[in-house]
Amino acid sequence: MADTDTQQVDRPEGAIPDANVTVDRPGYPDEVALEGDDNIESELMTLNMGPQHPSTHGVLRLELKTDGEIIEHVRPHIGYLHRCFEKHAESLSYPQVIPFTDRMDYLAAMNNNLAYCLAVERLLEIEIPERVEYVRVIICELNRLASHLVSFGTYGMDIGAFTPFLFAFREREDIFDLFEMTCGARMLYNYIWVGGVSHDFPPGFVEKCTAFLDKFEGKINDYNNLLSYNKIFIERTANIGVLPVDKAYSYNLTGPNLRGSGVKWDLRRDDPYSIYDRFEFDIPVGSGEMGQLGDCWDRYMVRIREMGESVRIIRQALEQMPDGDVHKAVPRNVRPPKDAECYTRSETPRGEMGIYVISDGSNVPYRVKVKSPCFTAISAMNFLTRGHYVADIIAVIGSIDIVLGEVDR
Amino acid sequence: MGRYFSNIVQSISTIWTGMNITLKHLFTPSITLQYPEERWEMPERARNQLFNDIDDCIGCDQCARACPVDCIYIETEKVGEDIDLGLTSKGTKKRLKVLRFDIDMSLCCYCGLCTYPCPTECLIMTPHYEASVYDRTDLLYKYAKPWEYDDLESADASKDTDKEAATAG
Repeated sequence: MADTDTQQVDRPEGAIPDANVTVDRPGYPDEVALEGDDNIESELMTLNMGPQHPSTHGVLRLELKTDGEIIEHVRPHIGYLHRCFEKHAESLSYPQVIPFTDRMDYLAAMNNNLAYCLAVERLLEIEIPERVEYVRVIICELNRLASHLVSFGTYGMDIGAFTPFLFAFREREDIFDLFEMTCGARMLYNYIWVGGVSHDFPPGFVEKCTAFLDKFEGKINDYNNLLSYNKIFIERTANIGVLPVDKAYSYNLTGPNLRGSGVKWDLRRDDPYSIYDRFEFDIPVGSGEMGQLGDCWDRYMVRIREMGESVRIIRQALEQMPDGDVHKAVPRNVRPPKDAECYTRSETPRGEMGIYVISDGSNVPYRVKVKSPCFTAISAMNFLTRGHYVADIIAVIGSIDIVLGEVDR
Repeated sequence: MGRYFSNIVQSISTIWTGMNITLKHLFTPSITLQYPEERWEMPERARNQLFNDIDDCIGCDQCARACPVDCIYIETEKVGEDIDLGLTSKGTKKRLKVLRFDIDMSLCCYCGLCTYPCPTECLIMTPHYEASVYDRTDLLYKYAKPWEYDDLESADASKDTDKEAATAG
């Protein structure tokens, strides 16, 4: 059990709502049970939301059972984006699987690459050069920034604020420019390889990255003023989709969703992979500032604060980065020993991604299994939305930050 | 009642804060470009359209084997010892006739895996990104020039007949 200490956060002047306001939310089923006339027959209405819906962040279909405006049951139907990643990986050589890991969580492709490569590297038992480790950390944290920016921008748009979306995508564009000059691709990189990375940083990368970080740090404050502490936004998100700690555990939520419930659990600190143990960073957790602990606002705010921590990690990594050859440890033939298997997990922007690989001694994996953080997060949808209004579903979906490419794989 | 008014005050004040930020952007330069007239400068490493320099290609099939989506189709034919297909620009001897070198860009996933094993570095990803077409079949790029071998063969054949004629005569 992780410690559940909360952290002190300073709020801006003027935008302090009452922390302990009890908001009138019709709960279900006790409070909305029909009173009086027993002759009135009422039945639940089934409403389909999605798969073509702008706020379901992809092709998620939700089957809602509604009692008037109130949700009684939500059943997510997944599989619209199923591309047989796991089965397909069994017919591809180890390096050929990497482009397909890009396409799982396409908003944080670098982190997916890393998760897969960590697994294969552990099978091969190869030593990774120092330089590569730093390059990976920098690139993955940049991708975490980009991913959280999308999460933040689209969340604002779901709730009804369009401006933050444009702000977020402007900064994301800068990150993509950095990626493009490094590896040539903007979204689906195939950058992190087994044993190394495809390209070293180009000349001028460090300066450009530092300039971006300097610019970006000030923007986080802008985001807070634009959206986080906006009264309308708080009204839409505080006390909505409250996820208590014990439920977060039982639904196996990870990443920002778990931290939003006040649990200080981050694989980068608690089970450090790569070289994350060398950096100093905090783990932002939800504290129930605007409403109850573990509501949508808390989960949202964890992401905003994580961006600041990622910036800290990148700065430290850029400073400490040694020189070296990034291709030194890349094996010519990736052929793990026979009957080797391993499970590695790493912290992607959406939570804990686990990759389980079994080798049969050939250059093709015998089995690749992905434990997807979004897939587990979506299982909590019913619990989170029950008793809320239909409009609040949008707030809940946005706050658990799912990417359907990863749910369906 | 008090909460009602404080909610209104807070709404107005926080929207005012946000609007101030948006207002500042009236006086900052635009970051968008008018695309068809202006263009971004693509970085050197930009990975877009695939291009194969067929004059340097030795038909080794390594790119097709590296491709995870099998979008490169290569057909080659061995030539006899006496026929010289020439050298690539890096000095590698060509041993195979490349009769077909097709890349189906509609299948390509732009991972770039095909470019790394290429021994003559003739298959590259270029920064060229405007490759949309009206017909999907136009995305099948054919790089091979099999007709060039026809000339070669006929030249060789004529040489052979000359030789034969000479020996006979």
